[in-house]
Amino acid sequence: MVVAQWMVNLAMAYAALGVAFAIAFVFYGVGKIDPAAKDAPLTFRLLIFPGVAALWPLLLKRWLNGQTLPPAEQNAHRNSDKSVKEAKS
Amino acid sequence: MSQAYASVGWNRQKKLYDLVMLASVSVYLALFVGIGAIVHPNATVETLLIRGFGTGALLMLHVILSIGPLCRLAPRLLPLLYNRRHFGVAMFLMALAHGAFSLVQFHALGDLNPLVSVLVSNTRYDSLSNFPFQPLGLIALLILFLMAATSHDFWLANLTAPVWKRLHMLVYVAYGLIVAHVVLGVLQAETNRLLVMILGTGMVVVLGLHLIAGWRERKLDGTADLPISANGFVDVCGVEDIEANCAKVVTLTGERVAVFKYDGKVSALSNVCQHQNGPLGEGRIIDGCVTCPWHGYQYLPDSGASPPPFAEKVPTFNVKVVNGRVLIDPKPNAPGTRIEPAKI
Repeated sequence: MVVAQWMVNLAMAYAALGVAFAIAFVFYGVGKIDPAAKDAPLTFRLLIFPGVAALWPLLLKRWLNGQTLPPAEQNAHRNSDKSVKEAKS
Repeated sequence: MSQAYASVGWNRQKKLYDLVMLASVSVYLALFVGIGAIVHPNATVETLLIRGFGTGALLMLHVILSIGPLCRLAPRLLPLLYNRRHFGVAMFLMALAHGAFSLVQFHALGDLNPLVSVLVSNTRYDSLSNFPFQPLGLIALLILFLMAATSHDFWLANLTAPVWKRLHMLVYVAYGLIVAHVVLGVLQAETNRLLVMILGTGMVVVLGLHLIAGWRERKLDGTADLPISANGFVDVCGVEDIEANCAKVVTLTGERVAVFKYDGKVSALSNVCQHQNGPLGEGRIIDGCVTCPWHGYQYLPDSGASPPPFAEKVPTFNVKVVNGRVLIDPKPNAPGTRIEPAKI
């Protein structure tokens, strides 16, 4: 019972912080970390709101680090392209 | 294609897809509640809605899970895959309605927080017939929420497609939890064998389709041992083995490569679409561009770059045609690097 109450309280606190962060992020931060979102319409901002509230630590970290572009995709071909290998050597 | 995000990239097909889906869901719910009220005259509207939303969501989940392997086996079904994310969000909303009505009906009238009540009202984890099945549904609902909430292309770009796909593979965990939720919940009290048979058939169909599609995929990946010539190029096939404006798919450097033949030329690029990692080699050359069969993202075959103003790029490969054989350098070039096509 106590454990269940704590789990629900923690989840509620995480969600409340997420909602507070999401309000700031969808209207201001999203354009900072992804240029394609800079002039996006209100409906786009509302659509990503629940996901931002859920994954807020990831986006907060990216925002605080001053990242201005989405991360590069990683797969076997992209990781082993000649330019990457040459840069590493 | 990504340039500036829109809320939804509506087109005629998406509107039609959503219209058919919403109409089907409405008809299902109306029939379920209507027939339920006749067959179970003592059942309340809330109970019928809980069951209607729950069974509807489960039915939709089976269809959603079947679309992927069905499209691998029968490419003419690809239009079903085109708007699958909307289907997934609709399924989540059905499951959410089922959960919300259940929470109000069974847990909101006491002193406890309803969510705490879900977790502690039944703790008989040692009993099969009285197992606390509701927490299983709650965890599945949280997974479905995470998937629905990250369904926009913004998340594909910001998580990257491979991470996004791994996240969305959690649907199989959710499916397992939901099956357990149903088997340990409603089926324990149900005497009608028809429901058990319907659920069993659904599970067999989903599992069977995945096994068949997976077995066919394995055959494709079994092409890794290709002969390497003295200059490091790999002999992947004969020119005549590739249909015009289509691709031959081979595995090189740990990933699939799509080798396209078009306009008397051959070009090779990574098979992995940057959008949702769709299989480019199963697409065709349309209007001079390699076109992903999943959502129509396009790439120029010689550079692997989307035509302006779009910004997607995939790695390319050096390619030669010698004595009617197609030779590929297995070392990928940086995404978007233009490589002179080999003339046939």
